[in-house]
Amino acid sequence: MTHQPKSVSPEMIEVVNGPEEIAKTGKRCVMTRRQFLLTSGISTFTVMVALKSGPSAAKVPAMVSTYERKFICKLSELKEDEPLDFNYPDDGAYCESMIVKLGKEAGGGIGSDKDIVAFNYTCTHQGGPLQGTYQKGDKALGPCPLHLTTFDLTRHGIFISGQAYQSLPQVLLELDGDDVYAVGMFGLIYGRYDNLKG
Amino acid sequence: MSTPYYIPGTNIPLPPVDADVLSTACDYCIVACGYKIYRWPVKAGKTGGEKAAENAFGVDFPVDPLGPWVAPNQYNVVLHEGEPHHVIIIPDKDTKHVNINGNSSIRGGALAKKVYNPQTPTRDRLKSPMIRMFGTLMPVTWDLALEIAAEIGKYTIRKHGENAFCVKTFSYGYMENTYAISKYALRSVNTANFTFHDTPSDVTSTPGFRDAGFDNFGPSYQDWKDAETLMICGTDPYESKTILFTDWIMPAIQNGQKTIFMIPRRTAGVAYAEKNGGLWLDIQPGTDLLVVNAIARVIIENGWQDAEWIRDWVNNKWESSSGFGQGTRNTPWQWRTTWGKFQTKGYDDFVKWLMAQDEFEPAVAAETAQIDVEKIYKAAEWMAKPRDDGSRPKTSIMIEKGFYWSNNTGNTNAISSLGIITGCGGRPGQVIGRAGGHQRGGLRGGSYPRNKSPEKLPGRRRRAMDTDRYLMSGHTRFAHVIGTTWIQSMCGSQSLAAKFEELTVQNPNQVRSYSRQSIIDTLKKRVDSGGMVVVNQDIYLVDPIGSRFADIVFPAAGWGEDTFTRANGERRLRLYPKFYDAPGEAKPDWWIVANLAKKMGFKGYDWKNSNEVLEEAARFSRGSRKDFFMLKVAAQKEGKTLHEKFAEFGTDGIQGPVVMLEDGTLQGTRRLHDTTLELSATGPAGSNRYNKKLTHFNTQTGKCNIQKSPWSLFSDYWAWMKPKEDELWVTSGRINERWQSGYDDRRRPYIVQRWPENWVEIHPDDARERGIESGDYVMLFSDRIPVQTDTTVGIEGDDFTFTKLMDQGHIELTEAAVTAVAVVTPALKKGMLYMDFLHTAQPANALSGRVVDWISGNYNYKMGVGRIKKIGTSPYKDSFRSMSFARRDIA
Repeated sequence: MTHQPKSVSPEMIEVVNGPEEIAKTGKRCVMTRRQFLLTSGISTFTVMVALKSGPSAAKVPAMVSTYERKFICKLSELKEDEPLDFNYPDDGAYCESMIVKLGKEAGGGIGSDKDIVAFNYTCTHQGGPLQGTYQKGDKALGPCPLHLTTFDLTRHGIFISGQAYQSLPQVLLELDGDDVYAVGMFGLIYGRYDNLKG
Repeated sequence: MSTPYYIPGTNIPLPPVDADVLSTACDYCIVACGYKIYRWPVKAGKTGGEKAAENAFGVDFPVDPLGPWVAPNQYNVVLHEGEPHHVIIIPDKDTKHVNINGNSSIRGGALAKKVYNPQTPTRDRLKSPMIRMFGTLMPVTWDLALEIAAEIGKYTIRKHGENAFCVKTFSYGYMENTYAISKYALRSVNTANFTFHDTPSDVTSTPGFRDAGFDNFGPSYQDWKDAETLMICGTDPYESKTILFTDWIMPAIQNGQKTIFMIPRRTAGVAYAEKNGGLWLDIQPGTDLLVVNAIARVIIENGWQDAEWIRDWVNNKWESSSGFGQGTRNTPWQWRTTWGKFQTKGYDDFVKWLMAQDEFEPAVAAETAQIDVEKIYKAAEWMAKPRDDGSRPKTSIMIEKGFYWSNNTGNTNAISSLGIITGCGGRPGQVIGRAGGHQRGGLRGGSYPRNKSPEKLPGRRRRAMDTDRYLMSGHTRFAHVIGTTWIQSMCGSQSLAAKFEELTVQNPNQVRSYSRQSIIDTLKKRVDSGGMVVVNQDIYLVDPIGSRFADIVFPAAGWGEDTFTRANGERRLRLYPKFYDAPGEAKPDWWIVANLAKKMGFKGYDWKNSNEVLEEAARFSRGSRKDFFMLKVAAQKEGKTLHEKFAEFGTDGIQGPVVMLEDGTLQGTRRLHDTTLELSATGPAGSNRYNKKLTHFNTQTGKCNIQKSPWSLFSDYWAWMKPKEDELWVTSGRINERWQSGYDDRRRPYIVQRWPENWVEIHPDDARERGIESGDYVMLFSDRIPVQTDTTVGIEGDDFTFTKLMDQGHIELTEAAVTAVAVVTPALKKGMLYMDFLHTAQPANALSGRVVDWISGNYNYKMGVGRIKKIGTSPYKDSFRSMSFARRDIA
């Protein structure tokens, strides 16, 4: 199902640009650009990611892939530490993903507690399945049954320990009232050479 | 350097069907997984398609799990013969050995990001020779840099003797390079001021193994898998030699292997073993010997020892004297046995000694080691208790640096004896050896002139020079440092750095001229004034040895930039071909050394390429564990170069020693000391050589020496180092995602995002008492880091004990401090801290005592001590973009 975006939530802008950027740049500019891109179809664009920490609060370019907007679930349906499965960005190989309310603020988290995040389920090492490995105590996925990699869901899916060749692809979320939409991804899905070639 | 802000890519180009495909092996850990490089020109604008017929992998995309997927970190663009080329570097899906399923670690998995590409953080590769003038390193020609180094080198030797000329080098950066470097240092310059990256002296790393008769790398990977009980000491292979764990030990655990880890830190591999019924001996640092001997004692008290093996393969009183002695010559082997501290009259004598040591009572040992005594009994049972039908478990023992760098001589002696009584060694699944750190690329081009070493041990024995202490004493006037982070990689590193500074930049003789003659004159004056000239040869400018102290810098070419050879942890020899152009004027180490040696007037350095170096070097491999001389014989017979012959074996390689069968085929050696191996009844034919280690142990008789391992030789140092008041042990080691100094990892945004700087793990109880939380900046500090001073001559038997050194004023107490980001985790034993072992800016070794193991001459790196306090909040504490503070032992 395809939805035209009614508005882009501040959370979404945070995902893309970091929290300080909302105040600094205002969301209109980003929204306009995003709306343009979304209405003109599937695209990849470069945005400036503001770094809220580090020696210099510099901006670095970030590749954010934005895809067809897809309804995932109702925010009110999500229960803490109970992952909900969905397919994204298509129904092809390795599309299986999960959304979870961590109960702990997370990078890219949406909702009033900024604790709702979504990730692809396929290990970015050798394609092991991470379904059923959610660790509520650690807010992690894993260990992967193949080679034991674990991923931190509070920090953009970075590996905690293990062999993954990149962070677990994070599904970018957007909130529209009580509706949660997937709108894009950070990172390449295992097995694919392009996220949209499933 | 990279920033910690990694943004993953979302697509990659696939290699077209006609891409070049080269086989190689990984540059990093001991395992040396097989890899394939796919290379194709950018110019044509061609990429492969998603159908099997359209790409070089011959598979449809999306690929299956374990398939040839290409993560963005596995893709790069390089110059090959001056033209931009795409490269994809992924584990070899077809290899039949090592990483058999085409698996790889996170290190090797990102090999593509190590190659030079000026658009990436590798842009600061050293690209031209440099000379420090007016305080600044300035690019110059090779000719000028080599001429000045040669002039000063020759002058130093002439005026101050060979020992004033130091060569400190990597031991493993491929056989072509190590052969050339050691030929130059040992055969040509002939200096005793020579050692490798990980030790102050050129001495054996595992003295107990050597004296028992065990090769460090005798086992094959299949043996670790075939073991029914595997004791792993001082390492978690998952954390540092991944594929050895995931592809060999993990399947064994799934198959019922009883795995015992003796290590104070619980990481993913330990957690996996425990979850599957394994045992974790969570000892406090330095107490390994007590636990090992307590296990041995329980085994013997129950009569579980492998009596048959002991009868057949342990030296008795007379054999032992012959086995150790090698006559009356002045050998390290001999002096280690002086005063009867280690040598036994055979098994019964060993048992008598073992039972007489109260500290090996299980309860006493468990108390000192701070472990549950039941674990000692359980380990003994698993390792040695015969089954109801009388058959024995196949037991193997694996050790690594956490173990042998805690009490170097004592621990390696103790574990050798435990190995002997449990029948480890010489049979499938019943082996003892090292897991390994770096790959095995050493090949000696000269022998160490031990008689030139001033290091004299009690009883007229000479030991290889301690290069750190010699430098601290001001004797080193010229230091050629090759591919190693000298200073931070040594213990008590901060006081060592201060001395380097004094001898180099604080010396009044600084180059303030562009004239060749004036530069030479100034540096000669430096040498004569008691200062030191430093030449640093590396791929990046290392801080501080290169960036601050070096007068001359030589840019080196590395992995993939010339064709090299090396062996892995099961002696598997492989070719590492050149596949792209080295940056700028960077040259392989053999070339640099050859040209320097020639300018110094030495002969025998006229090699035109790396193959010629290896062909010359081949005969020096004879009799070694990676003997490949017969490959050269075969190559010559077939009209090929030696490198061409190596290439034929692809990623499968061949295990040394290599023998040639009567029909001319080449055969590798699965394991050393293989008592089940049958060699040709008619003996070695042609140029073959049957070394004793093929079928026997490395002693005079070919049987094992069972040795004592007295705690008292180490206990004074341990008790002195032991944390007092609010101090904690400070220990260190590898983590999976960083290799050595992080020279590549610091330039990988993905890894820098995970580990932007050094960190320290601390137990929650210790953290709470000090008000420390994960993400806090902390200071680790001490004002009592012991540093051994002076090159002394030992007279009395105990002159080199820590107590005596202290009494006689040869120990200086120094201050040290390093910062780190705190990671609070219950995975670490209480009472200790754990850091990554080699961050150049925040070196853990600063807090380790610079006091060598007095028997062997090695540092006990893992024995550090200090206090810790919060100094503030790091930027990583509350940001989500870098680091993770989740525990690493989720199982």
